[in-house]
Amino acid sequence: MTLKIKWFKGQWLHITLSKVLLYIVMLLLVGFTVLPLVYLVCTAFKPMDELFVFPPRFYVKNPTLKNFGDLLVSLGSSAVPFTRYLFNSLVITSAIVLCTVIVSSMGAYSLVKFKPPGGAFLFNLILMALMFSPHVTKIPSYMVVNGLGLVNSYGALILPNIAVAYNIFLIKQFMEQYPDELLEAARIDGAGEFRIFLQMVMPALKPATSTLVVFSFVNNWNDYFSPLIYITSQEMKTLPLALQTISGGAANMAVGRAGAVAAATFVMLVPTVIIFTIMQGNVMETMVYSGIKE
Amino acid sequence: MKEGRIKKKMTLYQKDQLKGLVFVTPFIIGLCAFFLYPLFFSLWLSVGRVDSLMGMKTSFAGLQNYINAFVVDVEFLPTFWESVQRTLVQFPLTVLLALIVAIMLNRDIKCRGLYRVIFFIPFLLGSGQVMEQLINQGVDKAVLNIMDGRLIPYNVLNYFGSGVTDMVATVLSTLVSVLWSSSVQILLFLSGLQSISPSLYEAAKIDGATEWEIFWKVTVPMISPILLLTLIYSLVDSFTDIGNPLLEYIQEEGFNKGKFEYGAAMGWIYFAFIGVLVMIIFSVMRGYIHTNEVGGKKAWQRA
Repeated sequence: MTLKIKWFKGQWLHITLSKVLLYIVMLLLVGFTVLPLVYLVCTAFKPMDELFVFPPRFYVKNPTLKNFGDLLVSLGSSAVPFTRYLFNSLVITSAIVLCTVIVSSMGAYSLVKFKPPGGAFLFNLILMALMFSPHVTKIPSYMVVNGLGLVNSYGALILPNIAVAYNIFLIKQFMEQYPDELLEAARIDGAGEFRIFLQMVMPALKPATSTLVVFSFVNNWNDYFSPLIYITSQEMKTLPLALQTISGGAANMAVGRAGAVAAATFVMLVPTVIIFTIMQGNVMETMVYSGIKE
Repeated sequence: MKEGRIKKKMTLYQKDQLKGLVFVTPFIIGLCAFFLYPLFFSLWLSVGRVDSLMGMKTSFAGLQNYINAFVVDVEFLPTFWESVQRTLVQFPLTVLLALIVAIMLNRDIKCRGLYRVIFFIPFLLGSGQVMEQLINQGVDKAVLNIMDGRLIPYNVLNYFGSGVTDMVATVLSTLVSVLWSSSVQILLFLSGLQSISPSLYEAAKIDGATEWEIFWKVTVPMISPILLLTLIYSLVDSFTDIGNPLLEYIQEEGFNKGKFEYGAAMGWIYFAFIGVLVMIIFSVMRGYIHTNEVGGKKAWQRA
């Protein structure tokens, strides 16, 4: 079923039924998905009287920046400024992302292209790790961190999150599509192993590593549980914990701070959106060498 | 002459293995320290009894904790069943919807980039604090209100009777929660679809394949590694989700009440169940996975 409409400049616009359906379904799904973000952003700019309207309103009538001011002031009285939490979160998350990308790519490269002794066993372990609920191993993990003397330091939050099974699994799936012929050619041309890894494999894996960067960043940025058990002092807390402190716990949220909480939630969202915006081009990018793929 | 060749081959092979070990070592260290050791310790805890919290002194107690979970604890089995039901409904829906959305996104439509970003936003909100704040404020219900009141007028719903109204509400709320948890899956499928070489489609079209045939004969085999990844990810994700009733229960018993050994035992029961599901997925998918390898050997080893 095709409908032809005369478009400007004498062009014909073809409208097919399937295309119309595609757009309708797409827009509906998009609508469902975008609402929480609209709500979140608007709430951060709502003045006090609009925050408590019931049922919650999705738009804001008189936008104000007062909430962000409140955020800085309401925490100004306590010893630790809000920016310190932001700094903690940024340092920890960036360190985790950097390390996990390197470690996982190297591990996946080895597992797929070299098949070291015990590689199959290691892969089975990784699969097992994927399935295991992290909550259950948290107590023994705490004892390991404690034994290393890392409690209440950046290391306690960074180290346990580097060798994550899911990350290496993700890279491994992509690595399998990398042609062996390229590696062979590089070896014949006399390139060293690390050089092959850094200059050939890593650039080709860019879509995979970008995906990993986004995953890892978002997961660790929003991680609430690890800092809760590993961090004891106020100035080492990360944003998710700080958010809890500001709101005074979900149960008895201080009414006067509702605006500050909304603003803090908004601030928490911004870095993840930035990371995703930077990376999304790469994530969606076609494999660099897809032309040579079998 | 012949022996020399074999010897040379062996050293090359061994060299290869050594290089492989060098690359994988950092990961192995991390895995041992923060996964394997805690794993075995929790296994030990699950068959033990904590005698003293100072220095975690434990003694062997046999299967007592496991028996407790099934026989003594009246709350465990219903909570477990609730978690299982939730997963069995949400998990297939999530994967299916994600695949459909990814295929639509991969087509030639306007504002593609914008849609992609929007579908990924729920993931950026995270399963953690931000999401909790939103749910506390009743956003998921507010979305439903809009859907009930404006898009579908109440009169129309009333005309069909309460049964239909309930059904619509259930379908919509499931749709919202599934959409909000499928952003990663959509992204995974998209990157899989994007890595399929266009020449394959071209060749299929020239050979006269229909869209339907192309989907089953080209798209599905080519994204099969990603499909496996997505299936496992969604399964595990729905199990470790923040709203999972059983995990809340484990955390409550294990951490807040300090019954570490009982929490560990329940975790292991749960793990056994997930393990069975993953095994099923693996054995079903095994025959369909497409790789560059032929007969499990690398091209240069074959030659």
